[in-house]
Amino acid sequence: MNFPRLADHLSLLAGTARRIVGMPDYPAYCAHLRSVHPERPLPTERQYFDEYLASRYGAGTSRCC
Amino acid sequence: MPTLLWLLVGAGGAIGWGVLALHRGETVNAAWLILAAVGSYLVAYRFYSRFIATRVLALDDTRITPAVRLSNGRDFVPTSRWVLFGHHFAAIAGAGPLVGPVLAAQFGYLPGTIWIVVGVILGGAVQDFVILTGSLRRDGKSLGQMAKEEIGPVTGLLAMVAILSIMVILLAVLALIIVKALAQSPWGVFTLLCTVPIAFGMGFWMKVWRPGKTVEATIGGLLLLALALVGGRWVAASPTLGPMFTLSSVTIAWGIIGYGFIASVLPVWMLLAPRDYLSTFVKIGTIVALALGIMITLPTLHLPAVTRFVDGTGPVFAGSVFPFCFITIACGAISGFHALVASGTTPKMIATESDARVIGYGAMIMESFVAVMAMCAAAILDPGAYFAINAPLALLGGTAESAIHAVQQWGFTLAPGQMEALARSVGETTLMARTGGAPTLAVGMAQIFSGAFGQSLTALWYHFAILFEALFILTTIDAGTRVGRFMFQELAGHAWEPLGRTSWYPSTVFASAAIAAAWGWFLLQGVADPLGGINSLWPLFGISNQLLAVVALAVGTTLIIRSGRARYVWITLLPLAWLLIVTTSASWQKMFHANQRIGFLSHKAKVAADLAAGLVDPAKGHQMMFNDTIDALLCGVFLVVTWAVVISSVKAWLGGEGRSEKGEARSEKREAMVAG
Repeated sequence: MNFPRLADHLSLLAGTARRIVGMPDYPAYCAHLRSVHPERPLPTERQYFDEYLASRYGAGTSRCC
Repeated sequence: MPTLLWLLVGAGGAIGWGVLALHRGETVNAAWLILAAVGSYLVAYRFYSRFIATRVLALDDTRITPAVRLSNGRDFVPTSRWVLFGHHFAAIAGAGPLVGPVLAAQFGYLPGTIWIVVGVILGGAVQDFVILTGSLRRDGKSLGQMAKEEIGPVTGLLAMVAILSIMVILLAVLALIIVKALAQSPWGVFTLLCTVPIAFGMGFWMKVWRPGKTVEATIGGLLLLALALVGGRWVAASPTLGPMFTLSSVTIAWGIIGYGFIASVLPVWMLLAPRDYLSTFVKIGTIVALALGIMITLPTLHLPAVTRFVDGTGPVFAGSVFPFCFITIACGAISGFHALVASGTTPKMIATESDARVIGYGAMIMESFVAVMAMCAAAILDPGAYFAINAPLALLGGTAESAIHAVQQWGFTLAPGQMEALARSVGETTLMARTGGAPTLAVGMAQIFSGAFGQSLTALWYHFAILFEALFILTTIDAGTRVGRFMFQELAGHAWEPLGRTSWYPSTVFASAAIAAAWGWFLLQGVADPLGGINSLWPLFGISNQLLAVVALAVGTTLIIRSGRARYVWITLLPLAWLLIVTTSASWQKMFHANQRIGFLSHKAKVAADLAAGLVDPAKGHQMMFNDTIDALLCGVFLVVTWAVVISSVKAWLGGEGRSEKGEARSEKREAMVAG
């Protein structure tokens, strides 16, 4: 059994679940920052979560009937 | 080879419809209904949505999407199409597609099913697809912004009025569904109450104790939810706790109004976000389980294909099959509300333009399939039991004997003790007169689940189904009250500037109270209504939702004309014309129909006559007359707004020239960027 690969699969699965539900995906955001804006400092997970909440739910969210 | 495959799929759908059409007067297996629906969906998706994608919208993968161009890792994120399909589906599918078909089942399963399938193929999925693509090409602009920019400022304002009014009615009717399901049900009340501390706990976990660990918190929340569900049975059976959680309709209604207000004032991390995660997972899981359950058990439909109530005398709600079947089933066939989601978060996450087809058209087909499953769940019930659960108390009378008699009058049978046994099997004291769809659906789902996954757990499945619906209805209530609050603050800010400051606490409290009071007023009116409330509120909700669809289709038509493809404009004009006929006729009937169960004004006249004859309590009578006036006025507003939108759009179509080029011009071609 190859354990590192299992862990990779699990984190991929968790990432997919997060995206479907619209949850914040901190690892993906860090990867995005590193590749596109390498000069910017990475936010802490707490900072990131606060910013995410404001942008996603700040102006209300539309859920359907 | 593919041709042969598609011929087979088409033939499968045709056989399904054929069997349904020919089996009149005898029971038929749900498999044929599913086959008819799925066959039609596949053919429509393969051919009609492809025609729209290539010819009408001309989806072009060389155009850069906003998710790629404006990528910021937060709201603009290029996302894989299947993940986004799941996300979009979870955002559009709520209680609507589950409740509408259950109510429309009083016409028999066939009229509703035909509308669900045909409506989605030619209407609902087209609307979602066109609006999604339009927003995608305008950096994720909202429906209101597009209406304002593409048609005119007046239409933009009307769209805003339409959105605010649909929100108020939607929240009231959804809350009424919970009230009807939970009154006198300690098990259900206890489980639902538990979701509040569970959400608080998850919120603190994600925000304070383990910042950002949303997955951990959600797994914990789901486990606690399961515990609450099992614990509910014990609480209901307990002689001390049971009565504490046995609440009346009015108490529950006030509780929900208070909850909506508080949830809208509290920070989002405490209640809204954790609830949103919980209900999304439960929703997707349950819908998958329901599909599996139906496939495994292949139940028989006991409801007739068409009942005599197509003439408008139905006990669940009054009104003939045209136009009320098309108003009762909005979500699942065509739902204007989706245009808000399709012009919200989803277009900001699409990676390539061609993904819009599976997400816009495909996810709506999926929701339609949920509506077909809800129809199956209602139709597998014994018809006598279906009507005893869904008819209002005023028609059933207060006793078991009077209910048996009433059901006989409608041409169905109810055995003595049948309803009591059914209620006992799902752990309730009574199931009579629980209009609103949720209990019917829960009984149907409990039958399907216990058939597929074990008989002994029927009561648990019933309460799981109730919890599942109540959970995401409450999520819609807190999100909706908050959205309404922001819209109210925006409008009120024009009157007095400080009211428009969303960060000013008194303004937030005032606006939240105003919105909660608005829908709370309709909710209390529905709870007090002797005809069950659903009879007056659900048609109002359907009309307002279809009104929003009219706005969306008018915007969609404008987008198609402005993109220079006016010859294909019938794809949105066709459903637009149909909805115009349906909403006009339905709102006219709700105002002026001579039958007092349909027309608000005739009901008002009847109450006035009863008052004069001393047959009703004066205070109650005057309240009912006031309610009727407000409801009739609301119908009038809907009618005027619908026609105003259509007239202003037609003016824009006839006099318009390529204004939209400006809107689409910003999406440069990929080659241009590569070259630059």
